[in-house]
Amino acid sequence: MNNYNISLGLLLLMVALNGHATLSVVTTTQDLAALTEMVGGERVKVQSLTQGTRDPHYAAAKPSMIRKVFRADLLLVIGADMEIGWLQPLLQSARNARVQPGNPGYLDLSNVVPLLGKISGPVSRAMGDVHAKGNPHYWLDPRNGIRMAQAIATRLGQLDPAHKEEYQQRLNAFAKAMDSKLQTWLTELAYLEGKPFIAYHKSFIYLADVFGFHIVDEVEPKPGIAPSAASLNSLVMHIQNDDIGILIMEPYYERRSARYLSEQTGIRVAVLPQSVGAQPDINTYFDLFDAIVAALNDAGEK
Amino acid sequence: MGPSYFCTNRVAVVICLLLLNPAAVFAGEDNEDLIWQLTELKQQIQRLQQTSEQQINTLKQRLEELEVISFKNARVALAVSTAVPARTENSGLRIGLSGLFAAGGSSADNDKLENLQGGAHDPGQNGFTVQNVELSVGGTVDPYFDAQANIIFQINADGETVVELEEAFLITRSMPWGLQVKGGQYFTEFGRQNPQHPHTWSFVDQPVVLSRFFGGDGLRSQGARISWLMPLGWYSELKLGMQNPKGETATSFLNVPQEEIAGHALIDRDVRNFDDLLYTARWFNGFDPLDTLSMNVGFSGLWGPNASGLTTDTKIYGTDLYMKWQPIYTQRGFPFVSWHTEILNRRYEAGDWGDHSRETLDDWGLFTQVLWGFKPGWVAGLRWEYVSANDDNPDNASDPLRDTRKRLSPNLTWYPTEYSKLRLQYNRDWTEHLPDKTAHSFWLQLEFNLGSHAAHVF
Repeated sequence: MNNYNISLGLLLLMVALNGHATLSVVTTTQDLAALTEMVGGERVKVQSLTQGTRDPHYAAAKPSMIRKVFRADLLLVIGADMEIGWLQPLLQSARNARVQPGNPGYLDLSNVVPLLGKISGPVSRAMGDVHAKGNPHYWLDPRNGIRMAQAIATRLGQLDPAHKEEYQQRLNAFAKAMDSKLQTWLTELAYLEGKPFIAYHKSFIYLADVFGFHIVDEVEPKPGIAPSAASLNSLVMHIQNDDIGILIMEPYYERRSARYLSEQTGIRVAVLPQSVGAQPDINTYFDLFDAIVAALNDAGEK
Repeated sequence: MGPSYFCTNRVAVVICLLLLNPAAVFAGEDNEDLIWQLTELKQQIQRLQQTSEQQINTLKQRLEELEVISFKNARVALAVSTAVPARTENSGLRIGLSGLFAAGGSSADNDKLENLQGGAHDPGQNGFTVQNVELSVGGTVDPYFDAQANIIFQINADGETVVELEEAFLITRSMPWGLQVKGGQYFTEFGRQNPQHPHTWSFVDQPVVLSRFFGGDGLRSQGARISWLMPLGWYSELKLGMQNPKGETATSFLNVPQEEIAGHALIDRDVRNFDDLLYTARWFNGFDPLDTLSMNVGFSGLWGPNASGLTTDTKIYGTDLYMKWQPIYTQRGFPFVSWHTEILNRRYEAGDWGDHSRETLDDWGLFTQVLWGFKPGWVAGLRWEYVSANDDNPDNASDPLRDTRKRLSPNLTWYPTEYSKLRLQYNRDWTEHLPDKTAHSFWLQLEFNLGSHAAHVF
């Protein structure tokens, strides 16, 4: 009886300690959440503040988000102005010292990847929604995924030193798997290398960089500015003159412009999921690129 | 590096021991002893070899792992461990200037518009109005505080420039137990609309009930409040504060001497003790019932002295509801439908005990508004308002601050980017105090934002 009580007590204690050992990680996007789940495993509880079906730039600091950040041990952000509209009010309302910038519970992943598209000349809002610090869609390069996973694993190890080795092992397994996956994707899409593409928004430059195609124009005349009839017509000319075969765009943009361009020029439209969660079947970072590669193949092989 | 250094060292020690013990080596007398010593040494060296081999193997393994991460493949040449210099960002200061202008006309003349458009930032005259030019400076002070100041510039009906310190406050960043303190000059957190700045409003003018209870500039004053994010299963925040009840931005309280309310002249009453301060409370809740639906529910209360007597008090209660629906896929935050409603009640003790004209003024009002963001950058809105007095004061109908008023306002807003907007609004007024009992107004509004990116507050 006594023995039973002691073992029950121990069991409860273990459960309690175990529960305590779980790190609560909050991420601004589902891509960051997917990477954290990959390296954190069951040691972490991950919640994303935004859904992959929506443009994270246009989110707002909702009370439910404030509550998540209030309870977080670690906050992961995309940075490079992606969350500029809502991160500051969110951090102020969340009153959580652990995740304030400068503390170990805050990690801006744009600091661990080489950003493309930095503007070196003068920047003006007359240029549209330009990001002087560099293009923030860097998770669309699997090599950056590994860099981000590495930074996340290191940070998890600092916050939870008892399981440092475990995070490192998971990171190694992830990097190995990613390396071999990337070889497959590169081989599959080798025929797209050097081909000219059109993108809806300036959000695929990292994808172009890794797979070697060239984005020569955008449907948006300026980043964040909706296309007009005149801008679409000059794009028709550009597509015909340069024989551009593929238009890539995120699922959440309007499809009318793409349909019009397709009717006028025969350009093939590939709707690419830009984030984990952008489509119901994309749950991991691997799924994301599997889906992107499949969509590019669908459009490219026709 | 460590292990190999360690091994060489151990071998060197053994050799040194051999050299330092010549007696044992060269004695020659006791061969058995010598052989035993040699065997011992051999075994030691073998053990050393084994351990160093093990260590070398572990190192080799680690190297292999590292190679996986650093991609030897030429196409994937960028080494993961490439040090990316950490950028130093000084996001310490946010500075912005927003300008809000209106043009339009009404069937009511400028004198009547003064009462019809009671908000100090409403388009209040036929022709052009500079509604609000606001300089906003904010940032992080140190690890403990954030601070913000908003200074507004306006041109009044006489063409004179008016400068006001609208807000200037400190707010704590990371107090324990979910607490947060705010102090300085700030908008009272009553309901959803009162603390919002004019350039973030969804309509060109202030709801009538807010102009009536809180004055043209809204309720704002000097004070401090504490907020507690309660450890509940949903977002639930309690805010309690104290503010100075004096000045034109505390209209229902001490306000300004010589002003009048329902025929009661206001005296010059000062704060003498804690009973004479304005007490503020708000309980604010947020939920996401669905992935596509978010809602906020709030209850607010105000208790403070008023200057219609030496002992008179005012109480104001309000409840607010905000819901926003967005589909699973949105582009630039569109489409969406939002619904915002507030209901307020004010009990104003007018006149001291024993004063023959003593009465309790009982007013209430509501506004309810729906916004439909039907395509990126385009929002259609509709607002309905109702204000009235519950008491049976015979002068209510002719009092522009207490009569029964209804107002219907459809509008259409176009946001070319996040930094500018163009809005057209029609107001249909039904109001008892006007001779015609009704008025029609059209307003065109233009806004620009320079500097820091505006905050997306839900």
